[in-house]
Amino acid sequence: MGRLLARRIGGLAITLALTSMVVFAMTSVIPGDVARRILGREASQEAVNAKQAELGLDRPLIEQYRSWLSGFVRGDWGTSFTKGESVRSLVLTHLAHSLTLGLIAFAVLVPVALGLGLLAGLRNGTRTDRTITVLSLCGTATPEFVSGVLLLIVFSVRLDWLPSSARDEYGFRGLVLPVICLVIVCVGYVTRMVRASVIATLDRPYIRTARLKGITTRSLVRRHVLRNSLVVPITALGVQLRYLIGGLIAVEFLFNFAGIGSLLLEAAQEKDVPTLQAATLVTGVVIMLTFMLTDSVYMWLDPRVRVGAET
Amino acid sequence: MSDNELQRQWAAELATLARSGRISRRDVIRKASVFGLSVPLVASLLAACGSDGEASSATDGGTTPAAGTNALGGTTAPEGTAAPSAGGKGGILTVGALTPSTEVDPVTGFDGAAIAIFQLTHEYLIWLNPDFTLRPQLAESWTPDDNGQLWTVALRQGVTFSDGTPLDAETVKASFDRLLSPDSESAALSAFKGVLEAGGVTAKDASTVVFQLARPYADFPYLISANTYNAVILPKDYTAPYADHAIGTGPFVLDSYSATDGAKFSRNETYWDTGKPGLDGVEIKFYKDAQAQVLGLQSGEVDTQVTSQIALLTPIESNPDFTIDQVSGTGVTVFTLRVDQPPFDKKNIRQAIATALDRNAINDTLSNGKATLGNDHLLAPAYPASPTDIPQRDIDLDKVKELLAGEQVSFSLTFEPPTKDYAVIIQEQLKQAGITVELDQRTSDDFYAGDQAVDTPWLFTPANLVGWAGRAVPTQFIIPMVKTGAVWNGSKYANPALDAAADAYDATTDEAEKKKQAEIIATALNDHTPIIITNWSASVRPFNSSKWTGIAAHPSSFVDFNDVAPA
Repeated sequence: MGRLLARRIGGLAITLALTSMVVFAMTSVIPGDVARRILGREASQEAVNAKQAELGLDRPLIEQYRSWLSGFVRGDWGTSFTKGESVRSLVLTHLAHSLTLGLIAFAVLVPVALGLGLLAGLRNGTRTDRTITVLSLCGTATPEFVSGVLLLIVFSVRLDWLPSSARDEYGFRGLVLPVICLVIVCVGYVTRMVRASVIATLDRPYIRTARLKGITTRSLVRRHVLRNSLVVPITALGVQLRYLIGGLIAVEFLFNFAGIGSLLLEAAQEKDVPTLQAATLVTGVVIMLTFMLTDSVYMWLDPRVRVGAET
Repeated sequence: MSDNELQRQWAAELATLARSGRISRRDVIRKASVFGLSVPLVASLLAACGSDGEASSATDGGTTPAAGTNALGGTTAPEGTAAPSAGGKGGILTVGALTPSTEVDPVTGFDGAAIAIFQLTHEYLIWLNPDFTLRPQLAESWTPDDNGQLWTVALRQGVTFSDGTPLDAETVKASFDRLLSPDSESAALSAFKGVLEAGGVTAKDASTVVFQLARPYADFPYLISANTYNAVILPKDYTAPYADHAIGTGPFVLDSYSATDGAKFSRNETYWDTGKPGLDGVEIKFYKDAQAQVLGLQSGEVDTQVTSQIALLTPIESNPDFTIDQVSGTGVTVFTLRVDQPPFDKKNIRQAIATALDRNAINDTLSNGKATLGNDHLLAPAYPASPTDIPQRDIDLDKVKELLAGEQVSFSLTFEPPTKDYAVIIQEQLKQAGITVELDQRTSDDFYAGDQAVDTPWLFTPANLVGWAGRAVPTQFIIPMVKTGAVWNGSKYANPALDAAADAYDATTDEAEKKKQAEIIATALNDHTPIIITNWSASVRPFNSSKWTGIAAHPSSFVDFNDVAPA
């Protein structure tokens, strides 16, 4: 297990190094001029040239990369070109926001999706199954910005129950609508995975044997169906967790949530290289960690996987 | 001739024009504010206008009667004695704004939220009212010499910065020197170019600043007003970042700033204008998305906005709790055609394209019908000198056919995302006239990237759409945009007659002469059609009128919350 962990960490370091090089190289071919963006189109060309020199953008790309990398590994992540704030503070603050929202949404999503999927699977072919399947798929098929706007109009504008943004000042209340929005988007996919897995598990010989032994339905579900049905959906949940932490751009924009997804998008659009690099790497680390977490849970649930990995 | 004699002479000229009915009451106020005339003189001029049909235009030119009145009374009257706003005091006004795309800095800031933030903490020599009249702010009066090349500005007495430092002429000089320095990164450097150069500002004494211009410029007060939004007066030792050094003379002081969340301000207790502001504070909340900003307004998270998109305000229009204030503006999206390249090197083709566009339909679609029709020249109807006798160009497909004479025309139209809807409408409308348009959308960064003298897309593509913020003086559009070899002449249009007329317009203080030169410019542009202007945008500002009074729209989306009070 220790060797496996070391291998994973080594792979993570190599992946991040390659990612940083690719992102840096790509920023040089993205059209646009960050100095012009900072000063505006009506600034003189001389001022723009001076700004480029001030930001070090007139140096060779390799030199820029070396300079950035040496600062980054020493903990100096630089200053945002466009926001003028410390990149370290910007990225870590946005990441903390995203982790908070993502984990709360995940904590709501898991029981809801498992519960609905289990119910639909156990009542396969009934009206309950069809209702759960149709509603959860409707939620998933509706883009976040549509369901988000509807939630805002109903709960914030019409009923005035909840704030219309997820700013820090609103605390947990501000996160309620974004969390509902995210759960609506994610629940359909996970529910279907759980449902399919439950149906497949119920068809296994050992379930029939257990039933013939006279085991109660509650015990059957708890001891045999649930654990064995979770192996496949764990992958789906892992994908959702990565999305919930790093990919919430539409939700972050709509609810004015200062998360890492919108920071990445803005940095890419603005060619804010120090912010883009740091946010990419930090997001990369989080995604790798969720991979490792998913794999660990997978191994815990399925001993066959654990044996395969160790050999 | 002394300054007072000069002012009396101008007053006499204005009175003659007013009596003859050649200029309106609104124009009298406007010109009087530019010349820095005193209240009694202006009052006598208005009396000369009599109670003609324009009687109410002095106040309804904008949408805020108070603003017009201030323009009048403000030229010399001490504003510190102004009565407090009616309707109560106090409270925190919350304002929505799109997150600034760059760092907030009074020297270089250029987007709506950034400008609004430093306008709350800092002030200009002269404020630009919503109806384009001028109002003294840190200047008490301003006076030109005989030919309008030397301007003397008297500063308001007793003004201090929020840290207690007194305002003096050296501080004002330092502010302008900072903008005019060849190393300046400010867009103001481009605005001053050719008019005010480095070294042109001197402190005559502690409360008098003299501006020596490179050429006569009758509208110079506009150039040192809020119209040049970076021309705020900063402490002598100001350095960025703004959030750490937000020491100004303005009505509010900055309490906190976050690049992602917004800014909080409280009342400046030492503000020179006694009794103002009425508010305890202002909070600007940033939004990443314009739609979310409107939802924030509807839900009560914010009370008003800095900038607004008319097309998104439909849900607000029917809500009795809200008022949408509107002013006609001079903001415009210019459809530029390069006259030095085929197919636009032929005048008939340029005219055919302009004649194939349905301007009313464009207005309805893009501005809910609130814009003013353009006529392919840069003299917006909001400008007093705008000619009224040039026939309005409108869609006429028979004439298009005649102009094209069977020639097949196709071209690529380059634009950035904010003008996408306009580009699509142009493509559709020109298709009806048999003209093929290929859309070439770039990111905003790409559109404005490159060298402005060599290859930047917004100045060097064959046809493009460029949005321009409103200008208070038409030559601020004309000289950089269509004068021969000008810095932002994307059409590459060259017309010595227009160049001479633009210079003559700037140099003269005579209204009739200004109108004459404006006519020459407008006629040339309308006929030669290097640029197509279908609409002049209106500016709107929605606000929760069940909670607040005194909030007004501004053509440049500037903010002045001094008179805001609870409803």
